[in-house]
Amino acid sequence: MNVTGIIFANDGTVSALTEKRTMASMPFGGRYRQVDFALSNLACAGIHRIGIVTRHNYQSLMNHVGSGEEWGLEMEEGGLEYLTPFSSSHTSDYRGKLESLYAAMTFLEYGPQDELVVMIDSAILSNIDLTKVIASHMESGKDITLVTKKGIADGNKQLDLAVKLDQNGNPIDITVDYAASADYEASMDIFVLSKKWLIQQVKEHIAHNLYHMDRDLVLGLWQKGEATLNIYSFDGLAMYNESVEEYFANSLSLTHKEIRADLFGRNHPVYTKVRDRVPTYYGENCKIENCSVADGCMLGGAARNSVLFRQVTIYPGAEVENCVIMNDTVVHEGCQLRNVILDKDVTVRPGTQLIGTPTRPIIIKRGEVV
Amino acid sequence: MYFQKKRCIAMLLAGGQGSRLKVLTQNTAKPAVPFGGKYRIIDFPLSNCVNSGIDTVGILTQYQPLELNEYIGNGQPWGLNKSHCCAQVLPPYERHDKKSGWYKGTANAIYQNIAFIERYDPEYVVVLSGDHIYKMDYAEMVEFHEKNGAACTIAVRDVPLEEASRFGILNTNPDGSIYEFEEKPKEPKSTNASMGIYVFNWQVLREFLIADEEDPKSANDFGKNIIPNLLSAGHKLMAFTFNGYWKDVGTIDSLWEANMELLGKEPAFNIRGEEKSRIFARNNALPSSYIDEDASTVGCFIAEGSEVYGAVRHSIISTGCTIREGALVEDSVVMPGCVIESGAIVRHAILGENSLISRGCVVGGAFAPQDKKKISVTGKDTVMEPNTVLLPGEMM
Repeated sequence: MNVTGIIFANDGTVSALTEKRTMASMPFGGRYRQVDFALSNLACAGIHRIGIVTRHNYQSLMNHVGSGEEWGLEMEEGGLEYLTPFSSSHTSDYRGKLESLYAAMTFLEYGPQDELVVMIDSAILSNIDLTKVIASHMESGKDITLVTKKGIADGNKQLDLAVKLDQNGNPIDITVDYAASADYEASMDIFVLSKKWLIQQVKEHIAHNLYHMDRDLVLGLWQKGEATLNIYSFDGLAMYNESVEEYFANSLSLTHKEIRADLFGRNHPVYTKVRDRVPTYYGENCKIENCSVADGCMLGGAARNSVLFRQVTIYPGAEVENCVIMNDTVVHEGCQLRNVILDKDVTVRPGTQLIGTPTRPIIIKRGEVV
Repeated sequence: MYFQKKRCIAMLLAGGQGSRLKVLTQNTAKPAVPFGGKYRIIDFPLSNCVNSGIDTVGILTQYQPLELNEYIGNGQPWGLNKSHCCAQVLPPYERHDKKSGWYKGTANAIYQNIAFIERYDPEYVVVLSGDHIYKMDYAEMVEFHEKNGAACTIAVRDVPLEEASRFGILNTNPDGSIYEFEEKPKEPKSTNASMGIYVFNWQVLREFLIADEEDPKSANDFGKNIIPNLLSAGHKLMAFTFNGYWKDVGTIDSLWEANMELLGKEPAFNIRGEEKSRIFARNNALPSSYIDEDASTVGCFIAEGSEVYGAVRHSIISTGCTIREGALVEDSVVMPGCVIESGAIVRHAILGENSLISRGCVVGGAFAPQDKKKISVTGKDTVMEPNTVLLPGEMM
């Protein structure tokens, strides 16, 4: 069965961190961008025709993903396509996923119609075997397969889409943009659908000025009894990076062995753009404890419970704790940083003190000197 | 097929056994031996080529080529997989007239691949070897060669007089032209040691390779035959002086030393360097390394994909290694994929790829001044049973 993958690059924002980039190109875990997880999930399931739907700020994304070579997507047939917005007399910016799919109709309609489409977002990270999800979809004979995760809904967290299941795993309630209670399963924003059916639905929805994937297509059709829903409940790790707080906590959780094992080793490797940095040098007086460290760093000072991206420099006498420090950032002598997210290319001048809290980390924007 | 004419291509001699690296090259060609945490030796000449604007490289393999071939693959990590350039592995082959077979020597290896070189109709051919650690801009050397109108230019470096008898020594006139080549002379007349890096005018080299093949007494070697023959035929040979870091890593001691020379605040060999001299390597798709709460990491290189729970001092820990709690690694080179279990002690050692040093093992030891060079070595895939000992200087 031929499968086309579609990645949505702009879903949600994480305050200052996504000012100049998409959610997809948010750096994560020392050497990755969030889209790497979605791309690796698709590519490792043998899906080699992938469209990335982008809305704005997609330069960093294109720079990172390029031709998709790292994921084996540099191909003559299929491979990677960027589905960037284009305006015509009756379209402007997308209001929802269905509009962006409508704009990408040429991409969708290409090739045989008896194919499947896997749609995946970039803010929920997992290492999932999509061949199993696809098999479950085919076996179920339902219109839509939705991947869900137990234990995310808690009555507080706002969820795009959540489902309540009966004992047989069939949905008995669906909520959209709602803080569903703990007996609901949260959508992982991964869908499998038949291409023919999807194309037809997109056209009909747009014709009726309906554009919201979760509300109009999933909830709407299900309520009217016009679509059947197959639920694939994923038993692995799913990281929801939908707010600064979540992003920060999930980043720091990479210091836990089980989390690393699940996210990077559950089913397949996670590929990313190769940067060819040298191994990290640990200086004579450095003190590194409980840290995730990428290549190319120069570590002279102290770091605890932190995630250090590529080419970070920490000078002797600097102290870093509970921090996420992105590429090429330099922390000078005598600095004290606690609960801080430092974006790329930041310079922290000697003796600077920055103290945030675990739920309200201080964010220093890309390229700033503090 | 239509091949684009190239001004200059490179031929990389990567077929040697490297027998002085002993267990490390038992099942691996020397150029494929890991170096510096995430590299292999061949990454250095290959990256130098790319950084010098040479985009067509023939790689001559012979000894244990499996890993090397796999590593080079389609040349993608070095950007040599495009339609106008290549990293082409050239193994020995059989021919109808029996004029082929195993590569008999360095010159014969190139001779057997004249057809490959001819496709690109180059002006110059750079001949390199796959067993040196250095960063060099070959383009500068080619410019020098062209400017001097030489038939052949050989890169040289100044070595201490007492070491000169270990090298091929080039004796030069004041203008830098070579009048004599002496292989490992007992009484060296100069300290210009050949680095095994040559630039040839292809038409001249071609003629001499064919003539050399006709000579049944020839060892078919660049140093022993081609260079002396060029000299006696009256061709102009130039010496190109290189002052940067360069290390022949052909022995256990030199391999260990070269690794150690990457360390320190101002290392003897600064592998970081500038953007234009970056060393490329095949990537392993492993996550960041993890340094545990109780780990101690001092004066060392630790590459991605490694997990450190124990103590590491003044060492190279390569990609995908695990150093468990209570283990100590000191003054050692730990190649990719090794596991050092709890309580094991590794000092002054080179651990081959995927070595398992079980709990309680002791590998190597402190150096007494009189036995400075006693490196303990484990070969690839070695499994050391718990609580066993590998003495200083021993191998397994």
